Amino acid sequence: MTDELAPTWEDVAHRYGRKIYNFAYRLTGNPDDAADLVQEVLLRVRKGLPSYQPGSFDGWLWRITRNAFLDGIRKKKRRPESALPEGDHHALGSSPSPDEVLASIRLSDDVQSALLKLPYEFREAVVLCDVVGLAYDEIAEATDVPVGTVRSRIHRGRKLLREMLTWPV
Amino acid sequence: MAGLIFDPDEHGELFSAYLDGELTPEELTVVGELLDGDEEAIDDFRSIQSIRKTLQLLPEFEVPAALLPDGHLGDRLSAYLDGELVTLEHRRVTKHLVDCADCRAELQELDRARIAVRSLPGVETTMTSEIHATPAPHRRRRIVAGGIGAAAAAALLVGLAVGGGDEPVFILDDLETHHVARASAEPGFAVLPPAIQVAAP
Repeated sequence: MTDELAPTWEDVAHRYGRKIYNFAYRLTGNPDDAADLVQEVLLRVRKGLPSYQPGSFDGWLWRITRNAFLDGIRKKKRRPESALPEGDHHALGSSPSPDEVLASIRLSDDVQSALLKLPYEFREAVVLCDVVGLAYDEIAEATDVPVGTVRSRIHRGRKLLREMLTWPV
Repeated sequence: MAGLIFDPDEHGELFSAYLDGELTPEELTVVGELLDGDEEAIDDFRSIQSIRKTLQLLPEFEVPAALLPDGHLGDRLSAYLDGELVTLEHRRVTKHLVDCADCRAELQELDRARIAVRSLPGVETTMTSEIHATPAPHRRRRIVAGGIGAAAAAALLVGLAVGGGDEPVFILDDLETHHVARASAEPGFAVLPPAIQVAAP
């Protein structure tokens, strides 16, 4: 058989559905929006696969995902507004021990709230890097900015999160 | 060290990129120097390391199963016959058909079956309705249609045996693996009229 070409959209759904869902969930903090995004992205993938040119599939897919997400935001004109709970920010040690890692997991609600307060570009870069697990060049392709910009956004995003979560400096 | 003074604004980004494995060899050298005994730099590095790790350890949510396809071919073959597939799948199937005489023959038979079913009086066929018909080998002229139910997960056997005399004119059987077809019946539709004739190829 020589017809091993691009994956089918079913392959994409099974391989990437969970990542897409988590991407949207972390960007919006909202499971309904995340579900909407998965559906929209799979629809676009299904339409777009015939014209997909072999190359960086991840870059292609995440650009579709990101554009679908932004289109959804524009449609709904929704701005996530979630305040950080007061007085509930535990400081981690400067070097994470297993206990501190556990504490960081318990902090996930706080981290989610802090993520939602980041400027969109920083939040997107941090989520694509740390939640989705993309390399800088893949994020650059997905978000259509130079790799240097990606690097800067990721760092600035992490710095802002650190400040919001009163990370020790 | 070599006179390198830590500047959080300038060097913090290097730490972040270092943790992500995204530095050039030259930058790696700079990071090595900065972390060689400079407490402020080390603290900054560790704080970035902590926030990065925390983000990576955020619990992962399961995507609701209903959002994903169930993995079966389902109505795609019928959709293919109806010219409804405009995706890569269509190209893949077409390409395979060019190379594979067995599948071409299978497709022709399936197409005849579709035409036969569509020509049934009073029975509407749609892409979403399904016939599940398994012919009894010694009872030609009868087709028993049943519900699919849980058997949908398994390979479907589809059979149509219609014709005159003792010779079956048309039989579709064993459409497993890449030959999956779903036949259909609305509730209450159990037996096809025996009068349907399909010409032999």
